[in-house]
Amino acid sequence: MSSRKEPLWRRYLRFFGPDIEADVEDELRFHLDMRERSFLARGLSADEARKAAERRFGDFDRHRRTLKRQDGRRFRRNLWSERVGEWVQDLRYAVRMLWHHRVFSVAVIATLALGIGATTAIFSAVDAALLRPLPFLEPERLVELRRVELPFAPRGQAEQPDARPTIRTVGALTNVYSDVAAYAVGGLNLSGIGAPLRIKVGVVTEGFFRTLGAPVSQGRTFTPEEGRPNGLPVTVISHGLWQRQFGGQAAVGQSVRLNGKAYQVVGIMAPGFRFPEDADLWIPLTVPLTFASFEPFRGWIPIVSIARLAPEMSREVAADRLRGLWRALPAEQLKDYAGVVAEPVRPLQGTLVGDRRTPMLILLGATGLLLLIACVNATNLLLAHAAMRERELAVRTVLGASRGRLIRQLLVQSLVLSLAGAALGLLLAYATLGLVGGLLPREMTELAAPALDGRLLAFAIGLAVATGLGFGVLPALGAAKADAQSVMKSGGGHGSTAARRGRTRRVLVTAELALALMLLAGSGLMLRSFSAVLATDPGFMPERVATLQMTLDRTSYPRSGARLAMLQRLLDRLRGVPGVEAAGVINDLPMSGVAGISIEVDPEDGNLAARFQDRAARYLKSDAGYFRTMGIHLLQGRLMAPSDDSLAPAVMVVSARMAQEVWPGQNPLGKRIKLLDPDTVGWRSVIGVVSDVREKPDEDARWQMYYPITEDSPNLVAVVVRGTLPERELLATLRNAVQAVDPSQPIYAVRTLAELRHASLTTRRSNTTLITAFGALALLLAVVGVYGVMAYGVTLRTREMGIRAALGAGRADLVRLVLGEGMWVAVIGVGIGLIGTLALSRLLQSLLYGVGPSDPVAIAGAALVLLLPVVGATLIPARRAARLDPVDVMRSE
Amino acid sequence: MPAQLDVLRGTLDLLILKALSWGSAHGYSVAEWIERVTDDTLVIEEGSLYPALHRLEERGLIEAEWGLSGNNRRAKYYALTGAGRQALKAESATWTRYARAVFAALEAPASLKPASV
Repeated sequence: MSSRKEPLWRRYLRFFGPDIEADVEDELRFHLDMRERSFLARGLSADEARKAAERRFGDFDRHRRTLKRQDGRRFRRNLWSERVGEWVQDLRYAVRMLWHHRVFSVAVIATLALGIGATTAIFSAVDAALLRPLPFLEPERLVELRRVELPFAPRGQAEQPDARPTIRTVGALTNVYSDVAAYAVGGLNLSGIGAPLRIKVGVVTEGFFRTLGAPVSQGRTFTPEEGRPNGLPVTVISHGLWQRQFGGQAAVGQSVRLNGKAYQVVGIMAPGFRFPEDADLWIPLTVPLTFASFEPFRGWIPIVSIARLAPEMSREVAADRLRGLWRALPAEQLKDYAGVVAEPVRPLQGTLVGDRRTPMLILLGATGLLLLIACVNATNLLLAHAAMRERELAVRTVLGASRGRLIRQLLVQSLVLSLAGAALGLLLAYATLGLVGGLLPREMTELAAPALDGRLLAFAIGLAVATGLGFGVLPALGAAKADAQSVMKSGGGHGSTAARRGRTRRVLVTAELALALMLLAGSGLMLRSFSAVLATDPGFMPERVATLQMTLDRTSYPRSGARLAMLQRLLDRLRGVPGVEAAGVINDLPMSGVAGISIEVDPEDGNLAARFQDRAARYLKSDAGYFRTMGIHLLQGRLMAPSDDSLAPAVMVVSARMAQEVWPGQNPLGKRIKLLDPDTVGWRSVIGVVSDVREKPDEDARWQMYYPITEDSPNLVAVVVRGTLPERELLATLRNAVQAVDPSQPIYAVRTLAELRHASLTTRRSNTTLITAFGALALLLAVVGVYGVMAYGVTLRTREMGIRAALGAGRADLVRLVLGEGMWVAVIGVGIGLIGTLALSRLLQSLLYGVGPSDPVAIAGAALVLLLPVVGATLIPARRAARLDPVDVMRSE
Repeated sequence: MPAQLDVLRGTLDLLILKALSWGSAHGYSVAEWIERVTDDTLVIEEGSLYPALHRLEERGLIEAEWGLSGNNRRAKYYALTGAGRQALKAESATWTRYARAVFAALEAPASLKPASV
């Protein structure tokens, strides 16, 4: 009767849901058959009846197609809404459960928030510095040309021949580098608009803006003419400076004064562009370089050369071509540049991040450990929670909930927890963005400050999902595996499942302790380093000294004589103030973060010269008052005197270390030195030896040479004054004295020497603070974790304890029992942690000072700091066990 | 045989609902009922009945269930839902009002012819 042939297997498809195609076919065929039969009954022949039925039905294929499409769509939609419905149901259920068990939920969310928050905060810095491209046009094409300098033309002379690559010879490789530029960051006094101001200046070659692809918002950048020596003095200003100093009024074509010299504003950069560092204004760096460009600097220009690779040019090929230029040097000279020849170019981003890369990655690793600990803790809490709900889950299994559904519900629950943790963590991260910003080089905070943006959000959510699944999966599987029958029988929480779970939890706590020890040991090493740095003798006495810096510009003080006269008046005035003990002047203060200038020295004894070829000495200019003010001791000979002027024989005071290493076992007084710098001529003899001064708190003192400032005063000077006055008054005295001597003289960096020293430790302090904070959090989480497991263990064994007590076990026995168990966990955890610490602490090496990466004090201290609270956390449940009344215990069963 | 009329769009849905108001039925018996009660005046292409049935099912006006027909074959039975019953009531009232209005217009006396302008 049925004309339809259906493969038998199709019927089995129905096990997996309705078979739409077959249903449609069945329904329509049924209709045709019925109609056919009605025609047969009216007496038509079989053939006619079938044809008539088909005619009556219309286009069978078309109707069938329409129906299949229609039903398929509906089926899929239903399936989807059914699934969504289930998820919504699970979600609701999870939220209800979590709300019901509020204390548990808050504990898990807080734990995860700490882990996720810390990781996200540090990731924001890593993202800004290492992952996000620089906000320049096609930043992947920007490279640093290492050690490529500008051609140099000394005073009034022609350009010096230089066999090394310069930005001119590199720039000639136009098919390799489409643009090359050089820049340096200095400081100048801005006047002529509003109050005089010390600003950061980018001194840049004409092609700088083109190379970076940075657009002006008004006017233009520099012309090639302006980029040559004696070009017109012009400047481009930042959008921010324009807003602040010009109030957004017309600025292009106006003139400003920089160190007293007039510059015409020719352009305003687009908002946000402050490169390099946080420059507010740019002036041309001339090619060739002349002494005129030295104005914003201290006798040395820290030039960085950069280039934009030609389109389609690979960095390897570009490096190879530049290497070719280096290899043209004579072998004698080339050996000084081995490192550069190995890597002549590197990505600009890498240059800007520099040595901050390692601390950032270390901190990220530390937060990773913290997050792991948080996850382990959350898993533990969840396991304990699952034990509480064992009976409920068993009931639901009995009532027909599938294992898959139960697992899913438990996972949804842990995801809800982790997402809530992430939300809270993001708030924490947001609150600490400022602190994290301190990890970045200044270029980065200006260019691409860490921000709570979509990327960070995505990162936090990704972490949340990963941790939610990570810490949720074990308890979920465990709970679903629980044997419903035995649970129902035993009344829950006492079966073999519970024992197995207890083991899992102990293993987890052990892991947690191991991780925490690693973080704590890291904190210990950092703290020990920090105190070692603090304990170093800077070589001066920072207490009760005030300092300021100023630039005596060439317009007001064209000659050294005028500058010296001004300084003399200033010092005389200061020394006349009651309460002032000493005052002095120098070109560069130690620990002020200024690299300053170092020059190679050639001591008189030719044999020694070879040994000291690659040693450099710091070159400073000061008066005798500087040493007295700073508390630097004169060890031998005499200090410079006012009579050591430009007409007197050239003399200098050297540091103790320099004297010892250059003339070991000899009397340095009267010995002579010649600088290898071709620009300086003649010998200079040693008149005195002073104690060493550290340039940086965590760096050994370098060789230092002090020239009498009276020979030739620099433009940039720092004034120091020591007195018995309170700090504030001392600073005011200093400020007022300058004001009285020259009211129009701008001053900056007015601060105490102690502040200066404090500031020089900023990076180290923030690294130490962060790692220590992570260590403290790890400790907290671990102790909470241990307490949770031990307390739960005691609850689980209440009956056993009761029996033991009934059988005559004393309190001390019970305490020992619990404590012993806790100690096992602690000792194994600490042991594993020690192995991990010894394996990983070498990574910290570059951040350490004065301690080795396996410093026993730091590591043993960390173990002790971890063990004591763990013992405490174990004692509480142990004492509870001891107080159990056996009668009560038995009765409650 | 009287002249046959195509079923107006939308009218088919109403007829189906009416057909099912007597109880559940499969598609063939719905078609047969329409044929019978309208004396074959309304011709429906029987195949087009099914998309209409499935659409009504999707809209929740009718519900379907597989069952066995009188001759022991697997057949899909449709039945009105509560919403379907409501819809039938509303639709048939509307339709009757509409039909009456058109009929009244067609039967109007000559005295009511449109006014000439």
